[in-house]
Amino acid sequence: MEKIKQLWENIFQKGFWKLGLFFALIGPGIITSNVDNDAGGITTYSLAGAQYGLGLLWLLIPVTVALIIIQEMCARMGVVSGKGLSDLIRERFGARITFYLMIVLLLANLGNTLSEFAGIAASMEIFGVSKHISVPVGAFLVWWMVVKGNYKSVEKVFLVACVFYLSYIISGFIVHPDWSAIKTATFTPTLKFDTGMLTMAIGIVGTTIAPWMQFYLQSSIVDKGLKAESYKYARMDVIFGSITVNVVAFFIIMLCAVTLFQHGLKIDTAKDAALALVPIAGSYCSWLFAFGLLNASLFAASILPLSTAYTICEAFGWESSLNTKFVEAPQFYGLYSFMIFLGAGIILLPNVPLIGIMYYSQVVNGILLPFILIFMLLLINDKRIMGNYVNGRLMNIVSWATVVILNVLSVAMVVSAFF
Amino acid sequence: MDVNQDPQIFLFLSRILGKKIIGAAGETLGRVYDLAAEFVDPFPIVTGIILSSAQKKKPVFLPWKDVVDFNGDVSVAINSTHELSPMNLRQGELLLKDALLDKQVVDTDGAKIRRVNDLQFLKTSQGMHLVHVDVGFRGLIRRMGLIKPFDVIMQGLFDYQLPNQFISWKFVQPVHSPDLLRLNITQNRLGKIHPADLADILEDMDIKQRVAVFQALDVETAAETLEETDSKVQVSLINDLNSAKASDIIEEMSLSEAADLLGDLPKAKAEGILNEMEKDIADDVKELLTHPEREAGGMMTTSYLSFRPSTTVKETLEKFRQEAADVDLVYYVYVTDDEERLLGVVTLRDLILANQDKKLEELMDERVISVKLDDNDETIAEHFAKYAVTAIPVVDENERMQGTIIFKNLLEVVAPHLGQ
Repeated sequence: MEKIKQLWENIFQKGFWKLGLFFALIGPGIITSNVDNDAGGITTYSLAGAQYGLGLLWLLIPVTVALIIIQEMCARMGVVSGKGLSDLIRERFGARITFYLMIVLLLANLGNTLSEFAGIAASMEIFGVSKHISVPVGAFLVWWMVVKGNYKSVEKVFLVACVFYLSYIISGFIVHPDWSAIKTATFTPTLKFDTGMLTMAIGIVGTTIAPWMQFYLQSSIVDKGLKAESYKYARMDVIFGSITVNVVAFFIIMLCAVTLFQHGLKIDTAKDAALALVPIAGSYCSWLFAFGLLNASLFAASILPLSTAYTICEAFGWESSLNTKFVEAPQFYGLYSFMIFLGAGIILLPNVPLIGIMYYSQVVNGILLPFILIFMLLLINDKRIMGNYVNGRLMNIVSWATVVILNVLSVAMVVSAFF
Repeated sequence: MDVNQDPQIFLFLSRILGKKIIGAAGETLGRVYDLAAEFVDPFPIVTGIILSSAQKKKPVFLPWKDVVDFNGDVSVAINSTHELSPMNLRQGELLLKDALLDKQVVDTDGAKIRRVNDLQFLKTSQGMHLVHVDVGFRGLIRRMGLIKPFDVIMQGLFDYQLPNQFISWKFVQPVHSPDLLRLNITQNRLGKIHPADLADILEDMDIKQRVAVFQALDVETAAETLEETDSKVQVSLINDLNSAKASDIIEEMSLSEAADLLGDLPKAKAEGILNEMEKDIADDVKELLTHPEREAGGMMTTSYLSFRPSTTVKETLEKFRQEAADVDLVYYVYVTDDEERLLGVVTLRDLILANQDKKLEELMDERVISVKLDDNDETIAEHFAKYAVTAIPVVDENERMQGTIIFKNLLEVVAPHLGQ
């Protein structure tokens, strides 16, 4: 009897201790994954659901697997080397490659930031707020939070922001979907070889696995200062995050499929989706959808410029810290402010071809991704950097296969953009 | 070939890498892959060229004495790569591109971490020395091979030429690998940086570099630096040391800092370190550890000087000279009775100016301000502000003196919460 009691106590204490440790070490993976469901992501998922119904739902399973494989490598590199990805690329591949890579990354991320501010404008318009108010306020909020706050408080705000993604899941339950049809669709891969559906499939993959995330994830893991021994918690964090992001994606596609697609409504943007939901699912559902979009856009708009500034300064050895004054880190603050003001400023211009800009920023992302994935694979197999933590044979087969497939998709998207 | 050029020329590593190597017979032997240099003071000297060639898979080593001409292509005095031995570096010799180019170094003059964009050599008739490290944007553009068009554009548009940003090798401490740190250990340049700046640098480094650099510091610098470092970083640094080395460093820290640090460590590690420490220091630290960090007991240090009222100024000063080196607080000496009850305070200035034969009881200020062991940081801060002292003694419920709080220690507890 005494022994059983002891055993229970042991499990309780150890169990809770481990759970506590897990929560102390999580963060980077979950935050990165959730930023991934940004304005661009939500738009893509809404369009996928509205245009092809439940048809592309199955795709989220392989995407989740690919996301876990890629991010696990990033997390491992961060923990083992203690360095950011751009740092490793610079040291291993030299200044020239890094320079051009950073220019393309800056362009791609500028495009992404722009679409986040477009998301802020669109979601607030649903609540009846003009973009001339919402965008400047949003930009100021983002700037203020990062410049005036410290990383710990910012991370807490971000973790709380992750909870608001639940609004999509709630919306999903509000519309009372036919669960058995959804189950079938999720586990039966279907892909018709029509250009539209293929492009949409590539779009979903592209928006989920973006170049900037690898840099961001690795730096935040490094910032956490995890040691190789506690690596398994980082891995759990990454896996948990990758699954969450796709659960949210799942509910967005599903929501648009059972409402908009079944009623045959055509939409072009996430804002259309939110508005079209009013007559079908009620205004609560529409508001929840818009609120989710606002949260996602604000969230990503605060992380993207920051991550870009960090990445570039790290690669070129410029001072980069939020704890320094402007004159001490001019490049860092310059890049950061440049991205926010340009991102927000362009949205406010009259007659901006927003859809075109967003589309080409996806193309630039598509050009960048293959290079980064290949660099990652070379780095993670470098014994001088990774020691005993290089990829095993099986992991190499799986990761190379994933990277080849992703690269083929990226190239396909880039090619289709030009022809 | 024309050998009578200017005896002193500056060369960039980025321009040297990839140069063709021409043998004595005039045929191409290969290309420059890297340079080997011996790290001597004050400037490292190039000892040879690492050559990559089509014939040999492994890089081979070409001694510097075989180099005939270094302008344009590299002319050498050998006929074939078969005469050369495979690369085998001696003690104190390193590959420059591999170890420095694109890597991080510490600029000990500006107390910053910089990234190396290029290396500059001075070539004289005696040999080629590494003299400058290029950390500027101009170096980066040069690496791109875009410096000429860039200059034309900047000159044409703004009448401006981007200046070079060089750091003399004398102020460079490479930190990329433990080898590099060990190499410079005799003339470790990190010791020239102020500990507070060094702490900032450590915090900016990645975890591996941080550990390597910290362990390369001498015990005293390590202790001073550790006092200035963020507590999270402190814990990770100490965790990587064995208890013996850790205790050596912690003994050098001020008592209250040491106690704070040990309080943050995992229990087993802290006990291991305490066992290795000198007994009297360990006992003092253990005493401090029993108090919460934000109360007077947790902030105070027990390292101060106290005397009986009948002690003369002369005796006091003698004792002071013997012990002040190891004492945290020197601006005040406290006067206590046989049961350690606090009677008064004498400032260092009073001691120096006073007649040598005077007794402390004639000199002391009896209106001494003290706080209780469990007074919180706010009360203490108010006392500091109101009475304008640099340290406040701490007494227990029987007015017996337990320690003293130095203003600096209060600041460390309070500063993180300021401005919120």
